[in-house]
Amino acid sequence: MSVYAVNYLCRELLRDHAFRAAMKADPAAALAKQDLTEEERKALLAGDVARLYRLGVNAFLMGYLPRFEVCGLTMPIYNERIRSAADDVRTGH
Amino acid sequence: MAEIVGALGVPHTPFFPSLVEREGPDCETARFFAAVKKELEAMRPDLIVMYDTDHLNTFFLDNLPVFALGVTEVFHGPNDEPRAVPIYTIKSRPDVAAHLRRTCIDSGFDLALTQQFTVDHSVVVPLHFMTPTMRVPVIPIFVSGHIPPLPSARRCYELGVAVKRAIESWPDKLRVVVIGSGSFSLEVFGPRIAPGKSDGVPDPDWAKRVCALLEQGATETLLTEATSEQMLRAGNVGGELLDWIAMLGAVGERRPKFVTPQMEQGHAYAAWNWS
Repeated sequence: MSVYAVNYLCRELLRDHAFRAAMKADPAAALAKQDLTEEERKALLAGDVARLYRLGVNAFLMGYLPRFEVCGLTMPIYNERIRSAADDVRTGH
Repeated sequence: MAEIVGALGVPHTPFFPSLVEREGPDCETARFFAAVKKELEAMRPDLIVMYDTDHLNTFFLDNLPVFALGVTEVFHGPNDEPRAVPIYTIKSRPDVAAHLRRTCIDSGFDLALTQQFTVDHSVVVPLHFMTPTMRVPVIPIFVSGHIPPLPSARRCYELGVAVKRAIESWPDKLRVVVIGSGSFSLEVFGPRIAPGKSDGVPDPDWAKRVCALLEQGATETLLTEATSEQMLRAGNVGGELLDWIAMLGAVGERRPKFVTPQMEQGHAYAAWNWS
């Protein structure tokens, strides 16, 4: 269920401008209230999108992280990191 | 009696409006959309029925219909902030939409209902290029093409056939155009994006194959070859092909007036005009 929480908060970056501002200002504080596993919290704060992808987080929702430049992610950094998960692409039905 | 007078297939790339704003009306994307717009205008539609895959903006993982139909007077979008796109108010036809839903349910397609909703770039970007005055009412039909398990290609085609029959059973005179919105091979923000970009085309051969089958009117072959595995291999939004396949339910095996590939994007622009 928790991967759901990561997917949800990624989309909240788009929809909730106050949450977006809070994530840009202090991601650890903004995530403190979220129902996440420690692994997810650590991966989010480190901007480890390859790890999050492997945990099952939706890729185009994760795209909001670099789009709004939170958790240290910019498009070039995101691009490098997500491509490192190329061996774990999910194409199963 | 209502009749379907033509069909269109288009991409909905969210950065196309800002690209066209920057590069002007002679750039490739602007020209390709202009050609489809011309076809749409020649069809003189009273109503557009649009098959679309939402990017978890209209719906979300808490409540994700495989097929849904919007029944409302108006809806708004885009709700996902693509650049250079105003927020449009788009008229609809709730009377026709409710008829389509009832008739489809009667024929075995249990369409979810949404009455208060916004739509994302996948509905608005094509309309922004093709009917920017938003004069023509639009009924959106949502197909879950991003989150596996995907509905089968054949099921989506049969949905398109059921919707076609439902349209044709509307008693009043109405010229209807059906539109499919989406890509054939595209990865968005996933591991198969190209270096330095936010997207990529993992399976250009598949995109070419889809274009060739559309060109030939080989719908039956397309339904056989468009397995879920193939679509997902073609990218994390490769299932958007299902929107084109549902649109083909109104086309059958007719050959298109044109299929214009834009291969570096893994998609195409196409028109079937039989009126």
